[in-house]
Amino acid sequence: MDELELLKKDWKRQEEVLPRLSYQEIYQMILKKSSSIVRWIFIISIIEFLLWASLDIIFRATGVHDEVEINNMETFSLIASFLSYGILIYFIVRFYLNYKKIQSTDSTKVLMENIIRTRRTVKHYIWVNISLFSILMIGTMVYLVFFTDEFQKSAVEEQPPLWLIITTTVFMTIVFAGMIALFYRLVYGILTRRLKRNYKELEKLEV
Amino acid sequence: MNKELEHSFVTNLEQNQNIVHKVCRIYTSDPDSHNDLFQEITIQLWKAYPKFRGDAKFSTWMYRVALNTAITLYRRSKRSLKTTDIDVINFKIKAEDYDDEVEQQLKLMYAAVKQLNDIEKALVFLYLEDKSYKEIAETMGISEVNARVKMNRVKTKLKKILNP
Repeated sequence: MDELELLKKDWKRQEEVLPRLSYQEIYQMILKKSSSIVRWIFIISIIEFLLWASLDIIFRATGVHDEVEINNMETFSLIASFLSYGILIYFIVRFYLNYKKIQSTDSTKVLMENIIRTRRTVKHYIWVNISLFSILMIGTMVYLVFFTDEFQKSAVEEQPPLWLIITTTVFMTIVFAGMIALFYRLVYGILTRRLKRNYKELEKLEV
Repeated sequence: MNKELEHSFVTNLEQNQNIVHKVCRIYTSDPDSHNDLFQEITIQLWKAYPKFRGDAKFSTWMYRVALNTAITLYRRSKRSLKTTDIDVINFKIKAEDYDDEVEQQLKLMYAAVKQLNDIEKALVFLYLEDKSYKEIAETMGISEVNARVKMNRVKTKLKKILNP
């Protein structure tokens, strides 16, 4: 293409008019903090981990946990805590290992893959948590209805119909999980929109 | 030790800063964004510098980190997105003032390159820098055949932009 050759020649000529920074100016630059997407992904991921990890503490602080104790559900709650912290540790280790792999000296494609993989780890963590939360919510409701005195004790006419309890629980769980998923998609989408578009563009080359 | 590393890095970058400026020129359109991107590339280069072993030329090593930063790591501000359009228009207006046909053609070419997507810009940049397809392929992480195919597509796309 003639035009591109023409551009190539001019490109070399243009070097003379490029800005020039002094030693001092460049030195000042290395003292500043990066604002790269990887840094943002790191910060947001850590916040996500902290948020989910602190749910247990929030439950204890707000008294939800007391109710659990009243209803003889300590073992149940202990298993749930154990499970969720186990999951947290597993995902943090995986996240850290993936994060370490992100190198700006890799090829563009490998770099993109590593960033996407790191972010995907956090995404999986969120989904495991939403699932676990849903199971716990429904499980707790089933337990309260069928295996504790509180529900059985009350007079028959005071009891809300069983189908209503089940429907409400399922509905609430879906709404809650849906809201988290939506919020998550938004944050994730904004952060990685350009990255994904560019990755697709690169992938398109591979026949 | 750290001071020594800092000194050798800044000296190296100062000597080779043209490469970074050229990447900034391809990917940004106003001085503010140019400086912004330059800053981020410098940080990324500095972060990666301890692993730079000197078995490759400093400049060769820079291409990869600089392009990776521009394409993947850099978070563009909304401001710079808007000015891209303005800049292209400015190019066209100025281009019309030129009598010289070549000069005009060049202005239009630069404006056309600005309209390419991030990956295409990288390919054009490496092509303008006289890199072989092997080097282009290695930098991007694709096969040499694909680099050629894609470069041909970019040329066709540029032609289309220039002669709609």
